[in-house]
Amino acid sequence: MAADVHKKKGWEVPNGSLAPGDGQHAERAESPTPGLAQGTEPGAGQEGAMFVHTRSYEDLTSPEEGGAAARSPPEGPGEPPAPPQPSSMEQISKDFSELSTQLTGRALGEEGPLEAAPAAARRDSLLPAKEDEDVTMDAWRLRRKHVFVLSEAGKPVYSRYGSEEALSSTMGVMMALVAWSPLPGSPVVFVRRSPLVLVAVARTRQSEQEIAHELLYIYYQILSLLTWTQLNHIFQQKQNYDLRRLLAGSERITDNLLDLMAHDPSFLMGAVRCLPLAASVRDAVSTSLQQAKAKSLVFSILLSGNQLVSLVRKKDQFLHPIDLHLLFNLISSSSSFREGEAWTPICLPKFNSSGFFHAHISYLEQEMDLCLLLVSTDREDFFTVSDCKRRFQERLRRRGVQHALQDALRTPFYSVAQVGIPDLRHFIYKSKSSGLFTSPEIEAPYVREEEKERLLGLYQYLHSRAHNSSRPLKNIYFTGPRENLLAWVTSAFELYICYSPLGTKAGAISAVNKLMKWIRREEERLFILTPQTY
Amino acid sequence: HTGTESGGTLPDKGTGCILARPSPPLRTRCPCRLQVMLLGDSGVGKTCLLTRFKDGAFLSGTFIATVGIDFRNKVVAVDGVKVKLQIWDTAGQERFRSVTHAYYRDAQALLLLYDITSKLSFDNIRAWLTEIHEYAQKDVVIMLLGNKADVSGERAVRTEDGASLAREYGVPFLETSAKTGMNVELAFLAVARWVTGPPAGAGGTRAPPGLTRSCRPPQGAQAASGAAGGAAPLPHP
Repeated sequence: MAADVHKKKGWEVPNGSLAPGDGQHAERAESPTPGLAQGTEPGAGQEGAMFVHTRSYEDLTSPEEGGAAARSPPEGPGEPPAPPQPSSMEQISKDFSELSTQLTGRALGEEGPLEAAPAAARRDSLLPAKEDEDVTMDAWRLRRKHVFVLSEAGKPVYSRYGSEEALSSTMGVMMALVAWSPLPGSPVVFVRRSPLVLVAVARTRQSEQEIAHELLYIYYQILSLLTWTQLNHIFQQKQNYDLRRLLAGSERITDNLLDLMAHDPSFLMGAVRCLPLAASVRDAVSTSLQQAKAKSLVFSILLSGNQLVSLVRKKDQFLHPIDLHLLFNLISSSSSFREGEAWTPICLPKFNSSGFFHAHISYLEQEMDLCLLLVSTDREDFFTVSDCKRRFQERLRRRGVQHALQDALRTPFYSVAQVGIPDLRHFIYKSKSSGLFTSPEIEAPYVREEEKERLLGLYQYLHSRAHNSSRPLKNIYFTGPRENLLAWVTSAFELYICYSPLGTKAGAISAVNKLMKWIRREEERLFILTPQTY
Repeated sequence: HTGTESGGTLPDKGTGCILARPSPPLRTRCPCRLQVMLLGDSGVGKTCLLTRFKDGAFLSGTFIATVGIDFRNKVVAVDGVKVKLQIWDTAGQERFRSVTHAYYRDAQALLLLYDITSKLSFDNIRAWLTEIHEYAQKDVVIMLLGNKADVSGERAVRTEDGASLAREYGVPFLETSAKTGMNVELAFLAVARWVTGPPAGAGGTRAPPGLTRSCRPPQGAQAASGAAGGAAPLPHP
């Protein structure tokens, strides 16, 4: 069941090449304005995109092609129609001063759930290990977000906390709940992707839409292990099949995905973050990767932590950010890749949910956090692909970029201080056409884990308001007791900034302007502007 | 050559293990490379056994399931001859069976593990042997290992049962412990020795690695396999 990209005819990339038509590249403005066409914003690729275009998470919640969704979860209507964009800084200022949406922490009920959340997070660390957890205890109930996966016949498939056996009666109750439609505003979210039902019981401030989005990631995670075809085949044969048998050993991967989604903005943004790297070094790495090719290779990916260093793809084949996130998660969920060379079947569900690729996974050097992922169509090709790795390393050596690469790995994140805006604490900037985003390290005052989660929670909140399916917002200005935030969503980019609670709105607007100029100046280092193909 | 030479060097340690005495090597192979594959149910300790052998360490803490198959190298000296062991560590889970099958045929030696504290993992050994019979090379060297021998308090499989199953299939047997290191090196070196054969030249001069040793199996080697249902190349002791 190899995912044979050579033979695949039905597969299309409707938005695969999102680079704007000729001529537009010349107009990479010094200081970007909101009037920028998609493809000219900072971070947009100069020679086409690496990824299948995704419209943030609406893409996730839209119905699956091929009937994967018997009943789809809460759906976004897609991209809100982009109103005519203003084109000058005066216009931006005007826009923000007449902000349609100004939110305050108080109005948001920040004193309530926001305060409760960190306490719950602290409790998490004191809670017992998964298997030992007594599901009748209060501690189990106090978890911030429970996630369950069950089959439509009500058989448990996965539970984030506590063993599935202990929960089988809970699963039964949940099946009863599936029969109802969940009440609006209830903390229980269901996503039904036949033959599976995914359920989250959350005490976070995420919107239902966002929780559904996370559940879909879990669904895709399961597909990546089994393929959609196999999953359906199994349940067609036997409705009450116990899927845990086939998923054995993967609980850690799913657990890790849920943890990662609570910490890493990549999932929220539906985009990929690049390791900051001098363009010349990145180009040398990409060229080395490109030259170490083999017939069966479709994607060669070099990553560090959860950041992309380089990605080379077969011509006309595009990776979806969700698939890349699943690969990132697989790698970060297991220390077993640290040594040796792993070879594993993996389905990239957004690319092709019916077949397996085979991925060669290895770290370049043990002390270096640099993982090479070579995705092949041929199960039998281990030794050929392994030789690609050897050739890649040889080329890297010959080009003498190893030291520069090592240096870059020593500082995998940049400080917000580099931007030179005193009140600016943190930001997330996403280029929509490249599917890449950039964000500095989270620094003081967000030092403790729960503080970091709280900041991400604020971004999640703004993101969900900006992408609300019934009332999407373009500009959001949020004032809270501990920080102010500003969100700005255009057809070309999304920007979320967090700054001091003492800062003013005028200050924030000028910060946005400065920040966009800085990102434009640094875009070569922060993004991959010239993606390569074999 | 006679087999007692290599077989005699394997100690029968007083650790509750029974080591089937190896017979003369049926195939003399190029000593430069040997592919070994670790097989057995999930959680029996295949990765731990390999880590103990390769790095001399024990992976304590929570169980981390191997993903797919994992390829590692280690060079060992067998009777003064360097042998590059290419070791496939495999995931025990069912969903990885197809990728494991694809690499069975490349392996010259298989270490088949069960967990002495898990009756189920022992009961599944027969199924593993059937699979090996189906996918592996006909003359592959197999060794049965009962791992976690240090956890004697929770023992669910008697040493005698392991030994008698091994006898039934005509494969050597050892009880091992990745935690204490008991018999771990011995198991790997034993398969290396069987496959590479006894030192060339009875006069005691060692052949330089990779040069003089024949990579071709001696005539008549096939005749001897077939015994024990073809699962093992080694005749009954």
